[in-house]
Amino acid sequence: MAIAKAERLMNLALCLLGTRRPLSKRELRASLEAYMEATTDESFNRMFERDKDDLRELGLVIETVENLDGEVGYLARHDSNQLPPITLDAEEAAALGLAASVWQQARLAGAASGALQKLRAAGLPEDVDPYATHGALEPRIPVHEAAFEPLMLACRDRRPVVFDYRKATAAAPEPRQVEPWALECWRGHWYLAGWDRDRGAERVFRLSRITGKVRTRTGAFTAEVPDVVRVRETVARWAGESAERSALIRLRTGCGYPLRARATAVRPLGDGWDEVEIPYGHGLDALLVEFGPDVVAVEPAELRADVIDRLRAVAKG
Amino acid sequence: MTTSRGNRPANAIDQTRRMLSLVTYLRERPGARVADVARAFGITGDELIADLELLPMCGTSFRGGDLLDIDTDGEHIWWHNPAALSSEAAQPLRLAADEATALLVAARAVATLPGLREGDRQALLRATAKVETAAGETAEASSRLSVTFESEGGVFADVDRAISEGRRLWIRYWSPARDEVSEREIDPIRLVSVGHTYVEAWCRRSEARRTFRLDRVAEIRILDEPSEPPRIEPRDLSAGLVQPSADDPEVVVEVGPAGRWVAEYYPHDAAEELPDGGLRITIRTPAPESLRRLALRLGPDGRIVAPAELADSARGAAREALAAYGEDGDGLFDAAATTGPAAPADPAGAGAAPAGA
Repeated sequence: MAIAKAERLMNLALCLLGTRRPLSKRELRASLEAYMEATTDESFNRMFERDKDDLRELGLVIETVENLDGEVGYLARHDSNQLPPITLDAEEAAALGLAASVWQQARLAGAASGALQKLRAAGLPEDVDPYATHGALEPRIPVHEAAFEPLMLACRDRRPVVFDYRKATAAAPEPRQVEPWALECWRGHWYLAGWDRDRGAERVFRLSRITGKVRTRTGAFTAEVPDVVRVRETVARWAGESAERSALIRLRTGCGYPLRARATAVRPLGDGWDEVEIPYGHGLDALLVEFGPDVVAVEPAELRADVIDRLRAVAKG
Repeated sequence: MTTSRGNRPANAIDQTRRMLSLVTYLRERPGARVADVARAFGITGDELIADLELLPMCGTSFRGGDLLDIDTDGEHIWWHNPAALSSEAAQPLRLAADEATALLVAARAVATLPGLREGDRQALLRATAKVETAAGETAEASSRLSVTFESEGGVFADVDRAISEGRRLWIRYWSPARDEVSEREIDPIRLVSVGHTYVEAWCRRSEARRTFRLDRVAEIRILDEPSEPPRIEPRDLSAGLVQPSADDPEVVVEVGPAGRWVAEYYPHDAAEELPDGGLRITIRTPAPESLRRLALRLGPDGRIVAPAELADSARGAAREALAAYGEDGDGLFDAAATTGPAAPADPAGAGAAPAGA
């Protein structure tokens, strides 16, 4: 039976952590049972390179050193792999316990637990139920988008990407070349901010509109990464939440709570209708039409015309 | 078998990560109890036993023969040769970039939750700062990821208080299906944040479990009566809040390219590509009439195909609405200029949890 990958990685990690001098590939191959089983140099080399990458992903700093004979050796020095001293009290430990449980994405959920386990090994207090002090609160970070993981890695490693992207209104996706800066989750959806190379400008992308695979490209970023990347402000503007104008509508009494919730003024007209002032941003026409005959757009004329157009389209079926 | 980084088996990585911490932890605690260690590591007893079966096959020396002699009788864990691992090799390991990112991004997001008690928030902020310091430069990449939870502040605080004090709530709640705000008394069970924040509760009016979205709560009061929800299994929400059942009626919506957002907002059974770049979307819902607002919102960008009554109802509502503008809704000429795309950040009725409909 093939030796479990976890066993192989664990042995390699312990060898590299336990040694005081660099170990050559030859020595490692002769000491790990899994490597001894490799039938060709090529398959051993491939396995070894992949294992080293995996251990580095787990945070291990592995140094490559050339010895006097020109042979390459590897070791994981204690001083560069040691967690600096950290002392957390029971309350802090419980708070981190809650935070570590919110990811609904396999890689980040695993990484968050891993972080907590390392802190646990370093003495993080454990006699507290993480939920007990936080009452009934169960925050979760949803990640449904397949593009999330490759983009997270590309943001982390600052690597350019290409992907097919379908704009909200476009029938077909088109390829985009992007230098990814940051990902942000707002209202349960993930967005990417970055530099769009073809347009030569900053753009925000919604991950659910990325079709197909995200591919990384070699080479460095060409545009400077801003100190602060604002994703939410851009998305809120799309959502019509940064309206500068105001509209006047009539609303049947008791109807349209979401419109009332954002109204700046409500005046009962006494005939079963209220007159309501509401911020006029992108998409207000479509929102008003949702309420059918219970809302009438009064002004501006442009909004009124847009609402009538939409209603006509629905009436035609 | 899998060679690409993205889809390698995650469990071998997670298990290795865990075992490295486990040896550090066990070295300090001879005779540790299986149950305690499993709890400390957030794993099941079986997972821990699997780790303990693997560890004796691992060792530090490239010459071999220095395997970790760790065993368990199922209750306690014994390490017979702790010297097999030097104290230096058994030091707690620094955080990896992904570990620091996962923990810090989540901690910063949770700290912004309006319902978090102030003491807990302060503890979380202190812990975050300490972890940032300990992580050092590996914490840098964590600024490239952020999460904002929605914050219906006042409502959240009242629900949270009612839950911790075990009291019933009176709410006025907007139901998108009927565009109506109605009063009800609920016994809150828990708060859930998935994009929006919801309270899961026992609704005294419908005598059933309901999920209420906090931004649809128009008014809230904590009552003196005790909250007495019946003992029910918490719903497993990992598959999403809206979980239509197979018996729910189907609604079929056809949208043009500008209406593709529907597939992003409404959980659906199927979304079939249409030749014009649009989609034919099949949605299952216990309350098909609640989708009339969707048909209206779509305007020129889509229409209900089935059931016919629902399509008729949407057309009827549009005609009635047009009457208020002095149009009879019949003999319509082509509306030449339609407005731009109206993909919403959040259509009022979308993702409607099965809340007191």
